[in-house]
Amino acid sequence: MPISTFLGLQTSLRGLLAEQRSLDVTSHNIANANTEGYSRQEATLQTADPLALPPVGNLGSGVDVAGYKRIRDSFLDLQYRTQAMQVGAGTTRADGLDQVELRLAEPGDNGIAARLNSFWGAWANLANQPESGAARQGLIEEARTLSSSINSLDAGMKTVADQAGDELATLTGSGGELQQMGRELAGLNGAIRDAQTVGGQPNDLLDRRDLLLDKLAGLAQVSVADNGSGSIRVTLGGAASPLVDGSNLTWPAPAMTSPGGQIGALTDLSSSTGTIASYRGDLATFAQALTTQVNAVYNPASGTDFFAYDAATATLSLSPAVTASSLRAGTGAAADNSAARALSELRGATGGPDDLYSRLVTRIGTEVADARRSALNATALSNSIQDRRQSAAGVSLDEEMTSLIRFQRGYQAAARAMSTTDEMLDTLINRTGRVGL
Amino acid sequence: MITRGVLADLNDVATRMTNTQRKMSTGKELTRPSDDPFAVGRAIGLRTELDGLTQYRTNTAEAQAWTEASDTALGTLTDIAHRGRELLVRGANGTASATDRKMIADEIDQLINSAKEDANAVQAGRALFSGTATGVRPYDMTSDTYHGDTGDVVRTIGPGVSVAVNVRASDVLGDGTDGKMINTLRDIAAHLRGGTTADQTALSTTDVTALDRSLDDLLTARAHIGAVSSRLSAADGRLADLEESSRGLLSKTEDADMAATLVDYSMQQSVYQSALRAGAGIVQASLLDFLR
Repeated sequence: MPISTFLGLQTSLRGLLAEQRSLDVTSHNIANANTEGYSRQEATLQTADPLALPPVGNLGSGVDVAGYKRIRDSFLDLQYRTQAMQVGAGTTRADGLDQVELRLAEPGDNGIAARLNSFWGAWANLANQPESGAARQGLIEEARTLSSSINSLDAGMKTVADQAGDELATLTGSGGELQQMGRELAGLNGAIRDAQTVGGQPNDLLDRRDLLLDKLAGLAQVSVADNGSGSIRVTLGGAASPLVDGSNLTWPAPAMTSPGGQIGALTDLSSSTGTIASYRGDLATFAQALTTQVNAVYNPASGTDFFAYDAATATLSLSPAVTASSLRAGTGAAADNSAARALSELRGATGGPDDLYSRLVTRIGTEVADARRSALNATALSNSIQDRRQSAAGVSLDEEMTSLIRFQRGYQAAARAMSTTDEMLDTLINRTGRVGL
Repeated sequence: MITRGVLADLNDVATRMTNTQRKMSTGKELTRPSDDPFAVGRAIGLRTELDGLTQYRTNTAEAQAWTEASDTALGTLTDIAHRGRELLVRGANGTASATDRKMIADEIDQLINSAKEDANAVQAGRALFSGTATGVRPYDMTSDTYHGDTGDVVRTIGPGVSVAVNVRASDVLGDGTDGKMINTLRDIAAHLRGGTTADQTALSTTDVTALDRSLDDLLTARAHIGAVSSRLSAADGRLADLEESSRGLLSKTEDADMAATLVDYSMQQSVYQSALRAGAGIVQASLLDFLR
């Protein structure tokens, strides 16, 4: 089989083109060095089909670009998403509980513990001066302050829970972040499938889809299944049916059984059986115990209750029968202070109101510290996975600069090979057959 | 990747510095329950205990004021009883004339009145000797009837410890019919005025013993008040000690160790500065700087 005289030119041209493509990819990498979710790409080069020259063998005919590879470790993606879910859940929970803790105002002079102390002190003052109108008035004011601080703590906790509920509704409601993400995911699925059907490699679309999945993982637990031909099926929080299947979005989102992530944390914070609700339950137990224990001493002495606790509205108030003139320190004469003394002795009693309240504070403190710690742990872990992922998929400018030099030199060398062939042909075409001229 | 690491480290050190700074500016080790949940629980308990102890000291001081006022009044009453006895001895003496005896009887009537006035003593608007009926004076000047009740004025001076701080006028002066001091003095005045032989005999026999009994009543009452008062002082001393130690314990639990905090702070500051320097150094260098 004869070989074309111009084969060398063609081979050099292939080299030039391949180096040029590689340079293009390097430029793309450098341009996207700071693009979120971008994975480094690389032109895969392979030798072009050789010319078969039997019996001598094959003559190489240069290089071809076989494809553009996206460098990414999908196993790390899975690990990252698990951690992203923990980070979403942990930080949301820690932020919510943090607000509850702030409202406790403990330890300090404005917390309920301090108010309780003043309340017992007011009873003791009344016991010292059972005849004094000022001591009665003082006691009534202290009791009002105490009940209003208990009520406002409960209202404060309810506000935090309500805010979490609002945030959840915004996130998962119509037009919310979840719906937008689902819609975008469905769109990308369609585009990727279309591109892959015609043999394309939609690297940048795949990056965007992975980034979207990372973000979705912060919201809720994500499981991804492959539909083949580049499209995927995404199920959220253990739901029975997928949220996104190929290019179809199911909306409203299928009910999640174990949401996890930010949605899981917000659900827990806002739910009537969640963490904040259980704090409010503890607070109600405390208010109820305060009411019962105070009334148990006060009622036999005066015939009326001192506190009234409405469990339905979780409101503690002074019984309407108690006024500065009707208040009794004891059963008998002016200086009988038996009830007031017994009530002042409730201060710090084992199983008494102080005990219940300090247990509630300790519980909230422990859980806030716990939530904060696990949020920090999850963040640290997700950062380290992100680092590992970046070391594979991220753009290292040093590496790209090296590639830049490599491909530039490659291009220069291919050009030199081409001009050498050109000079050779010049000798053949212009300088031969001129004998005697 | 390096940038993220440097940033995370810087944030970490900055957060720790903020915490230390907060400790320095508040002087408290614990500013929120989550700083150390169990220590905060303990601090709340200690504060309750401390406030309780302070309250017991207030109660004790209040009770002490009551006993002091009572003691003064009882002292005057004792003087009156002594004067009564002096007069009785003079009146019982056979040499006293009828006029003398009448004058002595008049003075005894006056003694009864001043005894009732002293028994009507008030402290901060409260009658000291009326039992728990502190709103009414024990006696009025028109009759010898006791208007108070038999209740105890009780003060709590420690956990589960209460003490009755009052003396009732009915126990020392009586109501004019029960053989106590007023009754006795009235009898003496009547016997002095009567002047019969039986009266004279009564003056030097039964009246003397009755008045001595009344003096005994007064002494018993003063001894009771004295005992209560010394018990109160002892309780106050003990409460002061307890208050001191529980204040110390509370401070140890919730106050920041300033020396340690300051050392921590300057160490974190230098760590922060070196982290900043390291970050600046690493982030700058790149292959770009060396390519031409």
